[in-house]
Amino acid sequence: MVNEPSNSKTMYRNLILLVLLWEVVGRLDLVAGGALPSLSEIIIRMWIDRHDYPLHIGSTLYASSAGFLIGNILGVCAGVLFVLYPMTLRLSRGFNIAIFSLPPIAIAPILVITLSGMAPRIVLATMGVYFITMTATVVGLSQADSRTSELIRAYGGNKLQILRLVQFRSAIPSILAGFRIAAPNAVLGAILAEFGGGGRWGLGTYLLGSLGRGEPDRLWGIGLMATLISGASYFLFVVISNRFLKGSTSITLNTAIPTDITKNEHVLKTFFITMGAIFLPISIWWALIFFSGLPSMIAKTPWGVVEYLFFSNMAEAAQGRLVAAIAETLPITFIGMTAGLLFAFLLAIFSSLYFQVIRAFMPIALITQTMPLVALTPLLVLILGRGNSLTLWVTISVTFFPAFVTLTQGILLVPSLAKDLPKAYGGSKWQELIIVTIPASLPYLFAATRLTVPRALLGVMIAEWLATGKGLGNLLNQSRGYLDYGMIWTVAAVSVLLSIIFYQLVVYTERKVLGKLGMKTAE
Amino acid sequence: MKPDGIYLAGVNKIYKGRSKTVEALKDVSLSCPTSSFTALIGPSGCGKSTLMRIALGLETPDSGKVLLEGVTPAEATKIGKIGIAFQDAALLPWRSVRRNIEVPLNVLRKPIKDYTAKIQEMINLVGLNGFEDSLPGELSGGMRQRVSIARALVTTPKVLLMDEPFGALDQILRRQMNVELQRIWDETKATTLLVTHGIDEAIFLSDRVAIMHANPGKIVDIIDIPFERPRKMSLFSDTSFHKLSIQIAEILHGQ
Repeated sequence: MVNEPSNSKTMYRNLILLVLLWEVVGRLDLVAGGALPSLSEIIIRMWIDRHDYPLHIGSTLYASSAGFLIGNILGVCAGVLFVLYPMTLRLSRGFNIAIFSLPPIAIAPILVITLSGMAPRIVLATMGVYFITMTATVVGLSQADSRTSELIRAYGGNKLQILRLVQFRSAIPSILAGFRIAAPNAVLGAILAEFGGGGRWGLGTYLLGSLGRGEPDRLWGIGLMATLISGASYFLFVVISNRFLKGSTSITLNTAIPTDITKNEHVLKTFFITMGAIFLPISIWWALIFFSGLPSMIAKTPWGVVEYLFFSNMAEAAQGRLVAAIAETLPITFIGMTAGLLFAFLLAIFSSLYFQVIRAFMPIALITQTMPLVALTPLLVLILGRGNSLTLWVTISVTFFPAFVTLTQGILLVPSLAKDLPKAYGGSKWQELIIVTIPASLPYLFAATRLTVPRALLGVMIAEWLATGKGLGNLLNQSRGYLDYGMIWTVAAVSVLLSIIFYQLVVYTERKVLGKLGMKTAE
Repeated sequence: MKPDGIYLAGVNKIYKGRSKTVEALKDVSLSCPTSSFTALIGPSGCGKSTLMRIALGLETPDSGKVLLEGVTPAEATKIGKIGIAFQDAALLPWRSVRRNIEVPLNVLRKPIKDYTAKIQEMINLVGLNGFEDSLPGELSGGMRQRVSIARALVTTPKVLLMDEPFGALDQILRRQMNVELQRIWDETKATTLLVTHGIDEAIFLSDRVAIMHANPGKIVDIIDIPFERPRKMSLFSDTSFHKLSIQIAEILHGQ
């Protein structure tokens, strides 16, 4: 899509123009009184700071590589288990959704309380990797050619033989694609843990430490370095998968529909599995506290949180602060997310009409996918200050880009024959848009929403924590300062719960709407 | 007495959907003598593929009896008595032609080195010598289908089950493949059941054509095909061939 020589030529031209523009704007201090320095100024500053970088980079790299390794091992193993025994997938649904949708910043303080040293950072990086690799493995394994699997079965082969002969090999492209997306996520996880948990070294720590000193060129240098590292980790896997995948793309379309396992199941069984899925994450929480052997004063069990919030002598005050914080956080999350999604939807639709726009804009949007966007919030603080507009822009930017990429790729998948139909009857581009493109992109709009709900909440909480001093993010940061352990656990639990509820709401609406239209959900 | 190659008696299969139940197969009986070639023809959704899947042991019937060479499908497949070819070659894209033909041997845990000669023989039989190390992506549709037939024959099966093996090919290629399949079958003499929805293909290849109707899926008639073997391409334009085609088409349409 962007690999044709003429395309890459325009891409480089645009890139050079962008850098030149940046240089001029930076040198003339046009943005917020010098909050955006020029590229050359940033690089000069990086050179001056060159002795600080190695230890910070080393620390972040260590945590993210360890998390990447552990998360991938867990993700692949879990994916294989889920495909071999679909029951385990259904039981782990609650756990998986929680891992996917929880805002990492919310549990960073908890990890810092309960673990020591590099462990909190590694855990957060692992969590960022696990879900992506697990999903990629499940999708890859179950999308393996069902006809060849049947052939193995017809010769009396068992599940393990199908896994070995067919599924695992054909899942490799998907798993590698998972690694590719997971790599920058590991870096992001490590940096977020550094934001939330002190420590001396790490790019996140460096970024926070430099925020108060008002040196834009240094902040931008650190941001640039973080972006470079996570981008490099992404492209490492692009190279690996390109090397590996020659000559093994599928030949024909597999039209067989996978069988629905929930068919003809007893209501009671469904009920118990759902209950299991809900209680599994809660029991994991409980078990972890139990085995950590930490005092109940610091480490709260689920019941400990309920007790703190409803039955302790400060319950009323705690409730008041929590409700006030939620009332500040939720509206801006909704506004930011809606704006980000709407903007992405309009731009994706618009660019489907004018293909040139996709060509010019897609490379930039793709690059942002490898950037630790939320981790760059301190840079936005420089430009936008510490008001609500900062929160809004952080949220819009973390929702807009992934949504735009998802939507555009979805729209590109609309069969050109379907688009030719209105054309054949002499329809205009707008008619083609209304009759074909918009309805066809609906599943991708939902997919984008599912993807961005947790990110929006994360973006808001980060902005609140680091800059605006409002809402849940701030409450978490404050409680950390007051050693109010009950509140730390409560905020973490509530924000995880909120993101699960939002996620489930989107999934529910998606099923209703797409079901009515006879469409399938997009992966 | 020697057991039939394929024996189905009183097979019933019902699918329960959300709103309605479908009688996929109702009291289906069919026996194919050893070394005979039977074609199963019928409209879409008449249950012919279900019947095939039941014969393969991929699905279990609600009631009825299925025997291949006197044993159940599960036992027959385990000892490698069955050869299978599906519509659409279903090859593993990362394995060469030779390694794709090895797949049934892998599943049955047979040592490949004992079969080197057999594999080469099969490759020669389907006319793919020189392409042993090609990947499926480098072959044409007809060649891929030949790989799947070689794969079906590599275990020297007593029973050959084929579900629209040429369904994805065009008419011209399909007729060429029909001639080749006849030649191959003549050499192996496996009891063969071919599911198809091409009337001419069914007549050209088989000793008997079993005709199915849908809702409920059942066999309504079995027609004997009298033509001498080996049959030549010219048979497709013979008047008696056409008469038989019309007769079968009329039974298919329920006249």
